[in-house]
Amino acid sequence: MTWHAVTIAGYLLFVAGVVVLQLLAAKTRVPVPSFGELLTRAMRSRTGRVGVLVAWAWIGLHFFAR
Amino acid sequence: MSRAGPGPEDRHAQNHGTDSGGTATGCAEAVVTPPRPAGRALAALAGLRAPVVWVLLAIAFFTSISGKPVDGVLMLIVAVGLAWDAGRRALRHPETAAATARTARLTGRRRRFAVIALLAGAVVYAVVVGSFSRYSWPATAGIIGLGTVAVLIGWHGPVRARPDGGRLPVAGTLAWLAVLVAGCLWELSALLQQPSLTTDSHAHPTISTLTDPLLATSPGRSVALLAWVAFGWYLVER
Repeated sequence: MTWHAVTIAGYLLFVAGVVVLQLLAAKTRVPVPSFGELLTRAMRSRTGRVGVLVAWAWIGLHFFAR
Repeated sequence: MSRAGPGPEDRHAQNHGTDSGGTATGCAEAVVTPPRPAGRALAALAGLRAPVVWVLLAIAFFTSISGKPVDGVLMLIVAVGLAWDAGRRALRHPETAAATARTARLTGRRRRFAVIALLAGAVVYAVVVGSFSRYSWPATAGIIGLGTVAVLIGWHGPVRARPDGGRLPVAGTLAWLAVLVAGCLWELSALLQQPSLTTDSHAHPTISTLTDPLLATSPGRSVALLAWVAFGWYLVER
């Protein structure tokens, strides 16, 4: 197995973790918050709200802007 | 109400400022007796107690040394603005410093029209900005413009009230944090194993490297931009 494949597998594992947690939150009674609830909680304060929105803006800057 | 009062960080900063400013508690005015200069300085520094400010400063630093000075400067501006704003609000009372939800809602046909107009605007934006080459000045202007609008909307408070939802389950929240932090560390390890911060590695590709083929084409960029705009809309609605 090459390092390239290992690195990709790591990203896929991360995506799988996100999907599993979201499914646990949405489809079961396991006490796991959904991603939306997590964001809502993080964005309750002004600093949290601005921080999350800046992180989103940074993604756009990173992939498209100079 | 999602924003009946200030969040923990805001409350913390406000309490700190109130204490340091020597202002009386229980007053109903927005701005109370001006604090002494030392108290004012301490209140201004209260903004630096918000972890988000330090995260933004770290992003500004690492982005700048990674060859993206524009990103770095913008992050720095927001970090300083946020720290200043938190410090300024620390001089006020929690009751008046709290950002309130803008609860005015469109209803019926007007809401449907607004949603359709926003959807059309998002598609036009994605097609137009996606038609520009990556890292060009027109693309940069488009991203900075929309990003600034979203951040300013968020700065003024939630666009609509949401139920508080109470405390999140600790174990489940920690599980989310573990997954998200692990993802970030994995990306960081790939970045640090590149020949340099600005040179891609096939053996240790970052997410940016993996998305390069998609973002090399105009339709690919438009699809990615539409997803980015949709996620931003979702966040602004939080």
